[in-house]
Amino acid sequence: MALLTTARLRPRLAVDAGAVRDKLAARANSTPGRLTVLVVVLGLLAVLAGISAVVGAAQRSHLVDSVATHSGPLAVQAQQLYRSLSDADATAAAAFLSSGAEPPELRQRYQSDIAAAGAALAAAGATGDRDKGPLAEIANSLPVYTGLVESARSYNRLNLPVGAAYLREASGVMRERLLPAARQLYQVETDNLADDRSSAAQFPWLTVPLILLTLPGLVVAQLYLTRRTRRLLNLGLATATAAGLVLLLWVGLSWLAVASHLGASDRNGSAQVQLVAQARIAALQARADEALTLVARGSGGAFADDFVAQMAALAGSDGNGGFLADARGRATDPAVRDALADATAAVASWRQVHDRLKGLDDGGQYPEAVKLAVGTDDGSTATVFNRVDERLAAAIATANKTFGERADRAGGALTGAGFGWTVLTLVLVAGVIVGLQQRIAEYR
Amino acid sequence: MTARRAACAILLLLTTVLTGCGSSPEPTGNPSSFAPPRPIGMQDPAVIPSGGPAQSTNCNPLASLRPAGDLPQPGAMPAGSTMAAILGRGRLIVGVNQNTFLFGYRDATSGEIVGFDVDIAKEIASAIFGDWRGRIQLVSTTSAQRIPYVQQGKVDLVANTMTINCARWQQVNFSTQYYEAGQKVLVPRTSSARGIDDLGGKRVCAASGSTSIQNIANAKSKPVPVAVSDWTDCLVLLQQGQVDAVSTDDTILAGLAAQDPTTHVVGQAFTSEPYGLAMSQSAPDLVRFVNGVLERVRADGTWATIYRRWLGNTAVPAPPPARYRD
Repeated sequence: MALLTTARLRPRLAVDAGAVRDKLAARANSTPGRLTVLVVVLGLLAVLAGISAVVGAAQRSHLVDSVATHSGPLAVQAQQLYRSLSDADATAAAAFLSSGAEPPELRQRYQSDIAAAGAALAAAGATGDRDKGPLAEIANSLPVYTGLVESARSYNRLNLPVGAAYLREASGVMRERLLPAARQLYQVETDNLADDRSSAAQFPWLTVPLILLTLPGLVVAQLYLTRRTRRLLNLGLATATAAGLVLLLWVGLSWLAVASHLGASDRNGSAQVQLVAQARIAALQARADEALTLVARGSGGAFADDFVAQMAALAGSDGNGGFLADARGRATDPAVRDALADATAAVASWRQVHDRLKGLDDGGQYPEAVKLAVGTDDGSTATVFNRVDERLAAAIATANKTFGERADRAGGALTGAGFGWTVLTLVLVAGVIVGLQQRIAEYR
Repeated sequence: MTARRAACAILLLLTTVLTGCGSSPEPTGNPSSFAPPRPIGMQDPAVIPSGGPAQSTNCNPLASLRPAGDLPQPGAMPAGSTMAAILGRGRLIVGVNQNTFLFGYRDATSGEIVGFDVDIAKEIASAIFGDWRGRIQLVSTTSAQRIPYVQQGKVDLVANTMTINCARWQQVNFSTQYYEAGQKVLVPRTSSARGIDDLGGKRVCAASGSTSIQNIANAKSKPVPVAVSDWTDCLVLLQQGQVDAVSTDDTILAGLAAQDPTTHVVGQAFTSEPYGLAMSQSAPDLVRFVNGVLERVRADGTWATIYRRWLGNTAVPAPPPARYRD
């Protein structure tokens, strides 16, 4: 039954469709018909080009904004978190080495570290779109860590050796849970920043080809009209062509500007921040190792080995390599280069003092070794280490500032793009319609 | 005691409430599965080396080498002897513990390592140099590091609550016995356990590489041994509820109990742990010299003074007698 109905209907439908097709073809072959097709095709192309340009501008602006105000700062926060935790580890160990109640400045430093870590954790956690694994680990383990450190402090003040056991357990939580999670978070945020940056700097693959299709279309239409009407110039089409050219130039130039500023924000900013931050964290861990070697007092071979490894990562085994040399080689800002040169010199003297310290410790002069490690006089490793840390912090601050400026300028390159490109698109479309509509009307 | 217990209960409640509230509205994992912190180097359950102290009993472990005549004058050691080499170096290197309260621990106020073992080692240094001050280098050793440090020559001797037994005589030389300890059990006061026999299936902590961890593993009641690096790590685990008891020499347990009044030592000693100073097998002359010093320390009241200083001034027992091989 169904088959019969379909079979009976089919011929009539085919006739109807064929008739419509013939009619359309006939109209399209006439001049006004061709002009109408031109209006529709060119108008559509222009509208599509305009929409993709405006939407692309909004997206790009969002991504650039994200680099400047979201993933960039988050990468800085993650680095801050990583640094604060490493610093807390080093400070807690150094405070333990000081006999009696810990020095107030070390206590102060530890508390600032924990406060900074908490703030960075809150900032990193406030965004809903990131991988929460390492964040959850840090959020879980940080209060456990501080609790253990406080237990260690109380027992130390009571002069009971179980305090040292609490400190060891705290250091275990730090090294086995907190620092790896912080490193992972930092990696994730740095990758996100790189992703945002490369997306923001991507070539407008849709907009430019669309405009490039529209422009020859406009020229073809102009030539066709010239041939048919013997008029040299159609004002509407000429205006549309000019608008299309301006749009193409503007889109291309703004892309170039954004890409070059973002490239500079990486080259002169975040890439250097990353290298110097690695150097700073290696220095902090070497400092913690130095203190923990003394805390272990002969049974801390693993810490001593790690000190050597961290120092090699920081400055190379000969003092002229590692993260520091890498960062110096890529530094573009003289201020950063100077800070890194100072830090390299300070690391060299740190190595010398550390060798003396190791000699004292190995030679049985343990109290003198401890004094050299945590003393506040000029020659102590504490002072030299602080100089390293300070100079690296200065280099990071400078590079971060450069990053912020360049990211802002990348955003500036898109100023007015949304509005301007909308207007240009409207002019383009209006030019096509008005220019061709006049000619079509002449045939009625 | 009641007040403290109440405080503990409130703390426990608070902890439960806090961890309960810690979960985010969109949980990424089961919050209760969060692992408790663990001391670095913890083994749970402990890896027990095969061949405990009971396995080699074919020796008299307490018999050491007899002193060779009278002690030389301090500062005038026989030429070519191990003591002369130590004298020439200018210091005696001693492996001690810095985490065993009362026997060898770091005094947090001064930063110095002090205790019963350290005082015995100072007597040896004084016998070589005349005065131990500035002449003794204390190297911290965990229980597991004691024998390797002696064998590798990192220390001249170890004074670290070290039990003399035949298995260890295979690796190091011992002095005569300078202290007699016995293994007992430390539990929270709230625990009903009254000895190792009540701890079947329970988690019991001791330092790795100690005789205690082997004794726990060999106990008839079959407790679960948990090994850590230092004795104080055991107290941390006990305080955090990660183990049910600590079992080792009564001396060490007394030091732990002194740090936490909510714990106590229970039961009778179920082993005998004679302490000796460990030295290299390549230096029998040092062993004879040390035994000579220990003879004097026992006889002239120094031992009683050291005992009184660290272990209380109640009835001071007689020092354990010296036994020799010939």
